[in-house]
Amino acid sequence: MKPSAEMTCNELVDLVTTYLEEALPAQERTRFEAHLRGCSSCQTHMSQVRLVVSALGELQPSTGEDLSATQGRMLDLFRTRGLHRPEKRDRDIPLGLGSELAALGDHIAYFWESEREFDAIAGFLGAGVSLGEACVLVGHDAAHERLLQSLERRGLNVSALMQERQLQIASVRSSAHGLLAELDERIKDAVDRGMPVVRLLGNLNWGRGTPGWPSDQELLRLEAQVTSAAERLPSIVVCIYDVTNLPGPMLVKGGLECHPLTFRRDCLRHNEHHVSPERFLEELSAG
Amino acid sequence: MEGPVSLEESALLDALRRGDEDAFARVVGEHHATLRRVARLYVADAAIADEVVQDTWLGVIRGIWAFEGRSSLKTWIFRILVNRARTRAVRESRSVPFIDTLSTESGSAPSMSPNHSCFTDDSPDPGHWARPTLDSNSSPERSLLTKELGERLRTTIDALPSNLRLVLWLRDVEGWSSEEVCNALAIQETNQRVLLHRARSRVRAALEPYFEGARGSATRR
Repeated sequence: MKPSAEMTCNELVDLVTTYLEEALPAQERTRFEAHLRGCSSCQTHMSQVRLVVSALGELQPSTGEDLSATQGRMLDLFRTRGLHRPEKRDRDIPLGLGSELAALGDHIAYFWESEREFDAIAGFLGAGVSLGEACVLVGHDAAHERLLQSLERRGLNVSALMQERQLQIASVRSSAHGLLAELDERIKDAVDRGMPVVRLLGNLNWGRGTPGWPSDQELLRLEAQVTSAAERLPSIVVCIYDVTNLPGPMLVKGGLECHPLTFRRDCLRHNEHHVSPERFLEELSAG
Repeated sequence: MEGPVSLEESALLDALRRGDEDAFARVVGEHHATLRRVARLYVADAAIADEVVQDTWLGVIRGIWAFEGRSSLKTWIFRILVNRARTRAVRESRSVPFIDTLSTESGSAPSMSPNHSCFTDDSPDPGHWARPTLDSNSSPERSLLTKELGERLRTTIDALPSNLRLVLWLRDVEGWSSEEVCNALAIQETNQRVLLHRARSRVRAALEPYFEGARGSATRR
């Protein structure tokens, strides 16, 4: 139908909401109004729609219910769970590794040797997905591929999760500063989209030597800074350490000295070897 | 997109980050009742809906340091609710996630009978309610709708597919702007309009017996 032709009743009925939303282009609006003026049936239809809309507006239930008890309960949550508190956080989030529980801000080194231990890491992501959380992977493509296959085997639809950005792959930057900015942005974006917790899985050790990859020095600098960066973000960070192939200094400095927690032999443990980031970075710069 | 966060709101966000309990209590007071109503659109069970709302507040408490005010606080809180409620609804497998039904909604129910012949009868004025719809002796804080029409509206809304129900409820019952609905549900404006149109059309059709002089038309369809 030519745009200038007179509007039919059926067309008008289909466009009522667009008209009321003031979203009709000027020409369509003119046709709409011209038809309406001459058609009593459509005038009736319009007033019925308006009546329905105003009746719906009247439906708002009374807000007379007493909220004070609820408000008290929510305040308790705020007092005991707020990230502004310096106290230790409750360990109440299923980690997805063994039967361990995590707290927000956790930064965990995961040491693996066997294939089974590597594939079990997917449990960390799987738990997040089933809880409606966001998962961000950073590291080597080959590692991602293996983990994503492992997720598929657990019955998860990886491409749908990627499409909804519940599962994301962060870009690798060559500096600690660039990597931190990238990860910070991913976490904030997920929070902005209403995700309650963001799980970060780092596998940057797998890829050392690749052109454009951060140097060992930059990887250590990143690891040292992640603990404090994650503190006030609703995040849980797990970093993967390949016991068989990584050089000793990376395992000890990166794995042991930069992570307040370790996961090894199906157990999450507090790590006495953790060094404060300030001291670690100072010594790193001093060489 | 929503505009930049106002000074007032950024002061509120700072207060929440500092752990200001009065500020948090104010935010809870302002949104809790609406959160409960919206949660009920996803999960029928009131106790589960309350858990969803509690999880939402936990999400706010945990996320406040990472929330940068790219949207309004209200929009963000409802995004968390929608996320929590979808996850929970899937777990309770009572409904499919909103996003899954968004594009597959058949639209099989037309806005009205195809040739809307129901208007052509010689009714006195089918563009008006057949009976008084407002309750003249209800107290001011109660809804003014007559009980009968209010109940009919609620049953009709309950029977809508979840995506239509949600958009209709937020727009026409809660009185949100289309921008607020699009932001909270992460849908496009045109999508939102299509859903709203279908929902309003179904409600209008269901209320036909209540329109003046149109009583016979409902049976003719």
